[in-house]
Amino acid sequence: MHFKKLPVLKIEHINKDYFVLGVRDKELTQKIKPGHFFQVKDPASRIPLLPRPFSVYKVDNDELEFLVKIIGEATMKLSHLSTGQDIQLLGPLGNGFPLVSGKKVLLASGGIGFAPMPFLEHKLKEAGNEVHFYHGGRSSNDVFCDSVENCTDDGTFGHTGFVTEYVEKYLDSTHIDIVYACGPEPMMKTLTIMCSKRDIPIYVSMERVMACGVGACCGCVIKIKENDSIVYKKVCNDGPVFYGAEVVWDA
Amino acid sequence: MHKCEIEFGKMKWKNPVTVASGTFGLEYADLFDLSQLGALTTKTITPLPKEGNEPQRIVETEAGLLNSIGLQNPGLDEFIRTDLPQYRKFHTNLIVSVSASSIKEFINMIEKLNVQSGVDAYEINVSCPNVENEGIAFGTDPEVVFELTSQLRKATEKTLIIKLTPNVTLITDIAVQAERAGADGLAMINTLYGMAVEVRTKRPKLHSIIGGYSGPAIKPIALQNVYKVAQAVSIPILAMGGITNSDDALEFIIAGASAVAVGTYNFVNPLCTLEIIKGIEDYCVRNDMKYQDLIGSIQTKG
Ligand SMILES: Cc1cc2nc3c(=O)[nH]c(=O)nc-3n(C[C@H](O)[C@H](O)[C@H](O)COP(=O)(O)OP(=O)(O)OC[C@H]3O[C@@H](n4cnc5c(N)ncnc54)[C@H](O)[C@@H]3O)c2cc1C
Ligand SMILES: Cc1cc2nc3c(=O)[nH]c(=O)nc-3n(C[C@H](O)[C@H](O)[C@H](O)COP(=O)(O)O)c2cc1C
Ligand code: FES
Repeated sequence: MHFKKLPVLKIEHINKDYFVLGVRDKELTQKIKPGHFFQVKDPASRIPLLPRPFSVYKVDNDELEFLVKIIGEATMKLSHLSTGQDIQLLGPLGNGFPLVSGKKVLLASGGIGFAPMPFLEHKLKEAGNEVHFYHGGRSSNDVFCDSVENCTDDGTFGHTGFVTEYVEKYLDSTHIDIVYACGPEPMMKTLTIMCSKRDIPIYVSMERVMACGVGACCGCVIKIKENDSIVYKKVCNDGPVFYGAEVVWDA
Repeated sequence: MHKCEIEFGKMKWKNPVTVASGTFGLEYADLFDLSQLGALTTKTITPLPKEGNEPQRIVETEAGLLNSIGLQNPGLDEFIRTDLPQYRKFHTNLIVSVSASSIKEFINMIEKLNVQSGVDAYEINVSCPNVENEGIAFGTDPEVVFELTSQLRKATEKTLIIKLTPNVTLITDIAVQAERAGADGLAMINTLYGMAVEVRTKRPKLHSIIGGYSGPAIKPIALQNVYKVAQAVSIPILAMGGITNSDDALEFIIAGASAVAVGTYNFVNPLCTLEIIKGIEDYCVRNDMKYQDLIGSIQTKG
């Protein structure tokens, strides 16, 4: 884990809701695993106070990128940064996705849950896995690349309907060894149920509001089934990636 | 180079800066050598493990943070087994924060910790409900604070610090009773009561509805509490509440604090304690002042 202030190398607006933020730092990029995240902040603004967690979107040699959705004040302020201005980073944080090799893998993301997937896809392919990637968004605005199976709720891009419908069809027609998911909780819950019916392991990347991001404040806990009991685990430190069947959904 | 060394109770600090209980853990040892701090303060430990409150546990509001962690901790035995050996590796003072629900439980904890090496001080977190006193927090009743502190004083020779809550009418009464009963120092302030509501759903943002408010927003409130108490007692004060940089820290020191702690701001800049240490030392050099002379040097007349 490192704490750094780095100049913004790249700020690229995809559409009114999303942008990509890039920095350069070799020390950081060498340590990043798929599913890791950083606590990011514009050091020049005092409000909002706390940094915000963002997954690593892409790593290319010494360059590191985040894909950010504008939600509220912090993400809005980050979107107004220009190249050369400093951003503050703490990370890499979290456990990351456990990697496999030589398997048939399915990736499923929804909305901004797309963010950790391209880097995961890259690493899985590097390790000799066969990767199938399904992504769902509300509309064409929430679709980020056309090399994956895209679905939109309103049919403005790719297949029409929820990503979960298409994943289910796919799981019925093809053998899959393992599933990785990131997206809205109802989507990850549905996928977990689908996978447990078919005895397929699934890893999900969870989101919670965070303060420290490192495990010190106990602010970001979720309920996890462990042995026969339910315990609190920290999303920042024990996660954000959990085994789907262990998550207490709708807690 | 001015070294801002201090004595706090029976402890010698190489500089007057520590971290506030519950906001900083061994996790940060990855980032810098924690031995650089004047002291380390642990998260509050209770006799038995506590799983903490239902989430949502944190909400950011204007320049501050609301939390209702509910003292999640592994319990005293597990702390001694797992965390304490790791804390021992750092060459600085260790303040163990403790809380319990009766005086007897507090004493049992202190007795167990007394025989451990590497513990320099106890910070008594008296903001918890006191079952002996029909659910009123220990720290809101001057007589209870006197009784608890006297008994703990008999139970240990180590530095005894009472952490005060600002959620009372007369904080000086409580501070004076802690001093009379033999406390070596005071830590202040703990969080203020606060609340936030989600307008769209009309629901409280915290599961526990009301939580503890901390961060830059509470600094003026903390400062006046420290100033008032410094006028009323002669034991040292460890001040906290919204400190983010060395100027914030200096405000507290000038108002009467002997040492300072950073809480919420560790989440924003985990290296800020180091910047604060340097900032205080630089201030003493610039003004050619001994740190001791800075404490309580506020000019209120003329
Ligand atoms: C491990 C992790 C990885 C993430 N990765 C990405 C990413 O790669 N790209 C991206 O755009 N976003 C990501 N997020 C979500 C991102 O952190 C939030 O969108 C951001 O904190 C919103 O901040 P804001 O100040 O703009 O909005 P705020 O004003 O803080 O919040 C607006 C609304 O969003 C909710 N919210 C705040 N923080 C979070 C949060 N952490 N998770 C869910 N809801 C939240 C608030 O309760 C509020 O209702 C991730 C979150 C986590 C926990
Ligand atoms: C997330 C969080 C957890 C805390 N946990 C404790 C605790 O376990 N024991 C305690 O005495 N104070 C606890 N506090 C209070 C702090 O130690 C400190 O008194 C308070 O936050 C004011 O300082 P600050 O404004 O710098 O944060 C906690 C504060 C926060 C924000
Ligand atoms: S955000 Fe502090 S413990 Fe997870």
